[in-house]
Amino acid sequence: MDYTLQFGQVWPYLPRLLSGAGLALQIAFLSFCGGLLIGTALAAIKAFGPGWARRLINVYVVFFTNTPQLVQIYFLFFALPDAGILLSPYVAVLIGMTLNAGAYLTEIQRAGFESRKQSEMEAAEVLGFSRLQQIRYVILPHVARVLFPPLSNHFIIMTLGTSMAAIFGVEELTGQALNINAQTFRSIEVFSVTALIYVALTLLASVALGLIGKFAFRAKMRLA
Amino acid sequence: MLKKLLLGMAALVGVAAMVAPSGASARTLDEVIKSGTIKVGVNPTFPPLGKFDEKNEIVGFDVDFATEIAKMLGVKLEIVQVGSPDRIPFVTAGKIDFVMGAMTRNPERAKVIDFTVPVHTEVFGVLTTEGKPFKTWKDLDKPEVTLIQVRGSTPVKFIEDNLKNAKVTLLDNYPDAIRALAQGRGDAIIDVVDFLGEHMNKHKVSWKVLDAPVDIYYCSLGVAKNSTGLKDWLNVAIFELHRRGKIDEMWKKWFGIDMLKPTQFTPYF
Repeated sequence: MDYTLQFGQVWPYLPRLLSGAGLALQIAFLSFCGGLLIGTALAAIKAFGPGWARRLINVYVVFFTNTPQLVQIYFLFFALPDAGILLSPYVAVLIGMTLNAGAYLTEIQRAGFESRKQSEMEAAEVLGFSRLQQIRYVILPHVARVLFPPLSNHFIIMTLGTSMAAIFGVEELTGQALNINAQTFRSIEVFSVTALIYVALTLLASVALGLIGKFAFRAKMRLA
Repeated sequence: MLKKLLLGMAALVGVAAMVAPSGASARTLDEVIKSGTIKVGVNPTFPPLGKFDEKNEIVGFDVDFATEIAKMLGVKLEIVQVGSPDRIPFVTAGKIDFVMGAMTRNPERAKVIDFTVPVHTEVFGVLTTEGKPFKTWKDLDKPEVTLIQVRGSTPVKFIEDNLKNAKVTLLDNYPDAIRALAQGRGDAIIDVVDFLGEHMNKHKVSWKVLDAPVDIYYCSLGVAKNSTGLKDWLNVAIFELHRRGKIDEMWKKWFGIDMLKPTQFTPYF
């Protein structure tokens, strides 16, 4: 192969790649937090709620975990405007990823809720805790510790998943990489630098999550 | 084994003969007529000028136009597939008699090949919707303006250089970009508007093309420098096709809209 690597042509664009990386992390973080709220609430309802609510949640979870995330966002971005709802690219991606994360995190947390110890729950009931207090003071601390590793993994997956936002005109890391590639045609250089930034992002995230887990929940985490 | 080797060598020699500059010069009009076939270069990566259909044959405006030319000359048509980098060498080497595929006339190219009178124009301009206040493309240089463009297309660089204040949403392909515009996600797109016609027609939106374009390209047939008689005959043929409204008809058929800027053909050339 007769090709000379010219990384020098990519460096001027590095600030654009890094701002894209920031945006990717922001999207992942916001949609993960949203998904966590949805997941916690729905997992609690699945554990204690009435049958019809559980069935409704099952429909939501099955739908979102069995269709591609890309198709879900396509629906929000291109189908909803025909019904008069026009979401900006950023908002469409954020809502899509949040709803998707909500479904997965419901499933992950359901396992945590199910692993609660009956004796602890009975103790809480004896002490007069309401249902909400039981969830808040007994189940969640327990769940957080058991579930911290799988939740962190899901955050990493979501960080990488933000790359599809480029399709909807959000200029995150992949979007910026595509633009720079179109201008320089230095595909090998542009995409290898981009891949390295993604690696750096996920390493950074897993170290940060590992530290949080270690100190806040005493969860056993393998620091990358 | 020996037979295989010989065959392989023969094949190699054959390939070398094809690759090596043949030195063959362009054919004259007489030679084209005598051979009974005219060879026309069409680029199948420029729909609707040229594209592959479901039978993997090249079709499009350029093919219809070339068919019409061959009919007028009374010869058979042979379509030769060309790409952007090799289409001018194909003409100079005499592999084809003329080349199509949005051959924009410019002085640089005219040093190497000859051009006929224009066959069609292309408007590099602004497509927006009725009711938007823009008069020229320069009116788009405002922070409240959102342009919808296709990621990786050439106008993106133009906008970066000339319309720094406008916001840009980059989508993946032309159908998506035009739909986004129809849905009201942005105010305008800057591109070669003629090529957007087939996507525009899919939406019930009153489109507006700004009267003041960024640029107009005049596209001709590219002919070799020493193609005695061929260019002169083609000029007359193109004039006739313009006069009979044939070119407009074919344009409407393939582009879905009228040619935005008429070529303003004249009988004097």
